[in-house]
Amino acid sequence: MKLTVLLTSAAAVAAMVFTGAAPALAESTLDIVKKRGHVRCQVGPASPGYYFLTAKGEWRGLDVSVCRAVAAAIFGDTSKLEIQSVSSQARFTSLANGDSDLLSRTATWTMSRDTQLGIDFTYPTFYDGQGFTVPKNSGIKSGMDLKGAKVCVTTGTTTESNLIDFSRTNNLNISVVTFEDYNVRDETYLQGGCDAVTGDKSSMAGNISAFPVPSDHMILPDTLSKEPLSPAVRHGDNQWADLVRWTQFVMIGAEEMGVTSANVDDMRANSKDPAIRRMLGVEGNLQKGLGLNKDWAYNIIKLVGNYGENYERFMGKGKEGIGIPREGSLNALWTKGGLMYSPPMR
Amino acid sequence: MAFVKTTPSMARKAPLSEGTLLGWLRLNLFASVFNSILTVFVLFIIFFTVKALWIWGIADAVWVADTRRECFNININGACWAGIIAWLDGIFYGRYPRDELWRINLGGIMLFIWMAPLWLPRVQGKILVGLSTVALYPFLAGYLFAGGDKGVFMQIMVTAAIVALAANIANAAIGFFINGNLPDFIIRSIRQNEAPEARQRNILLAILAALFIAVFVWQMNWTVEVVSWTRWGGLFLTFVIAGIGIASALPGGILLALGRRSKLTVIRVLSTSFIEVFRSVPLITVLFMATTMFPLFMPEGFVLNKLVQVIIAVCLFNACYLAETVRAGLQAIPNGQYEGAHTIGLGYWKTMGLIIMPQALKHMIPNIVGSFIGLLKDTTLVSIIGLFDVLTILRSISKDGPWLGLHQEALVFGAMLFFVLCFAMSKYSRHLEAKLSTGHKN
Repeated sequence: MKLTVLLTSAAAVAAMVFTGAAPALAESTLDIVKKRGHVRCQVGPASPGYYFLTAKGEWRGLDVSVCRAVAAAIFGDTSKLEIQSVSSQARFTSLANGDSDLLSRTATWTMSRDTQLGIDFTYPTFYDGQGFTVPKNSGIKSGMDLKGAKVCVTTGTTTESNLIDFSRTNNLNISVVTFEDYNVRDETYLQGGCDAVTGDKSSMAGNISAFPVPSDHMILPDTLSKEPLSPAVRHGDNQWADLVRWTQFVMIGAEEMGVTSANVDDMRANSKDPAIRRMLGVEGNLQKGLGLNKDWAYNIIKLVGNYGENYERFMGKGKEGIGIPREGSLNALWTKGGLMYSPPMR
Repeated sequence: MAFVKTTPSMARKAPLSEGTLLGWLRLNLFASVFNSILTVFVLFIIFFTVKALWIWGIADAVWVADTRRECFNININGACWAGIIAWLDGIFYGRYPRDELWRINLGGIMLFIWMAPLWLPRVQGKILVGLSTVALYPFLAGYLFAGGDKGVFMQIMVTAAIVALAANIANAAIGFFINGNLPDFIIRSIRQNEAPEARQRNILLAILAALFIAVFVWQMNWTVEVVSWTRWGGLFLTFVIAGIGIASALPGGILLALGRRSKLTVIRVLSTSFIEVFRSVPLITVLFMATTMFPLFMPEGFVLNKLVQVIIAVCLFNACYLAETVRAGLQAIPNGQYEGAHTIGLGYWKTMGLIIMPQALKHMIPNIVGSFIGLLKDTTLVSIIGLFDVLTILRSISKDGPWLGLHQEALVFGAMLFFVLCFAMSKYSRHLEAKLSTGHKN
């Protein structure tokens, strides 16, 4: 009798797992998060600029700021947050099985991921693209000069296949040298083990800034791939997806409207601009559909800052930053020729 | 007779090859042409390696700087130890809140105090000390590290642990300074040593109960802030996993080994299959299964404590490996020992506990310690499932803004750290062997 029950339940569980059916959501993610008292936000093993540990043991970075902003929007307190560091093999499973509420970790928004893995991407926090780093004195001026060159790449990523595609399409006959750890890849490159390094331009810019003499190296203008890096949530809970997406839009919109963590108090008290007043909850009821308090956007800007502030702090030239220029890149505001654009808040 | 020399002849000088440095060199390093070439060649290699290491790690190294860039500006060729120094707290304590570090330190000091009597001469009741370290200390330390609300069970265990620690210290002090043990000392100091045994026992129990109640009442109001296990990390986490693993793997291994040699079929089959299953699956597979597959079977929103999963996995694994080591030790004991034990009327457990195990385990010390060293190093696998053990922390340094790219120094430091730990364990095992040696080496 008992054995039968056991076998049946095992079969049921197995069926559920193998048909890929997500467990039915009895409650909305927001309710679960509110009841639990903190947001569980997934990042990966440390990656410079995006999410990294400081010597004090705190998580910081551009992607961590999104996590903190979501916690600020819901609880008005950025400490009500648990950062989970998950290996990249387990990242989407961990989101889909409910372990994480939100994933914010340099995941490229691709069609197959968006449509097949039971997850939804919200909005890119960073537009990246694959490129090449070469020594300045090598005479290489574009990707086409890499004929027969040895190129170092980290293995197990789309970077490697993009490189092979690039080599095949342009008949370059590039020989690929693969590495597990990008630190070792860069070490080999610096000692002359390869003619160029390929990787995401942003992270390579960060790596170059850590080279003994950064000015000896440059990133070629070629871009091999589009890498829109975006947070993601579980598929099927639209309110939660809205919440995360609009948290990001508040950060971008605040920058557009010139609201920073320093002047947000002043703006809330004195601004005449109706858009700012609506965003900060002085008038209107924009927060209604999200299930949050009126000061949700105020808390995001006050406690985490707008997009530009966070970019400068972690990707820009600051002490913590990795020194990727924003001017003229896709990550500038749309008013300055970039792609960072927030729909109107009304 | 004139043939007999009555005075001793002068001692001849020792041959050059004995006693002088030159002779030693000749004998050991330059005995033949081939040896000489080899010696010169090896010296050459050693010289260049050591010289390069010395220049990189000591002579050109930078010890004080705020960022790696500053290190480069001071000396571009040397190691940047400043980054490691800035990260020392992180390496040792992981993400543990910096205001609460005293709890980890206190836990470590308590462990030392608890175990110190084991190494002191003249202290009695060492078996009890050892048992209480394994059975009670983990509760006290566990609460200290994790904090939060104590349930009733935890309150009782914490109280028991505190009482045991106090008794342990008193007993050790009495044993070390004035000989004897704690119960005798109490009985003598209240002049009851003539009283019947039952009365003495009741007095001791009453004192124990009074102490227990006093401590229980006191600890009810003692709470420490919650520190989620997700914030545990660094060498501390490595020690927690390895410590629990080592403390539970040996008893588990002994039981499994006995089970596998048991004459009772059910026990033998169960032990054998348990050992074989766990030994044939890689640790990393089980860690992965436990952390990514398990939540799928659990109710929505239910998160298992990964740390507990990891510790259980590590314990089971190493128990199985140790079971085979212990079994090898058991095989080496000649039948005569069993027969001897039987002739003097010892039952199974007494035969094993008094005659067989002490010999078997002693033979196996090098292997057992070898397993422990392996266990300590295996703990670095937990980084795969997102726990921040010491290696993960070391690798995070190269991603921290101010120290971007600082990975060689971190890994070298990690290598030294592990070397010190493993070498200490190995040395201790040699010491144990020498101490327990009964002189019949064969």
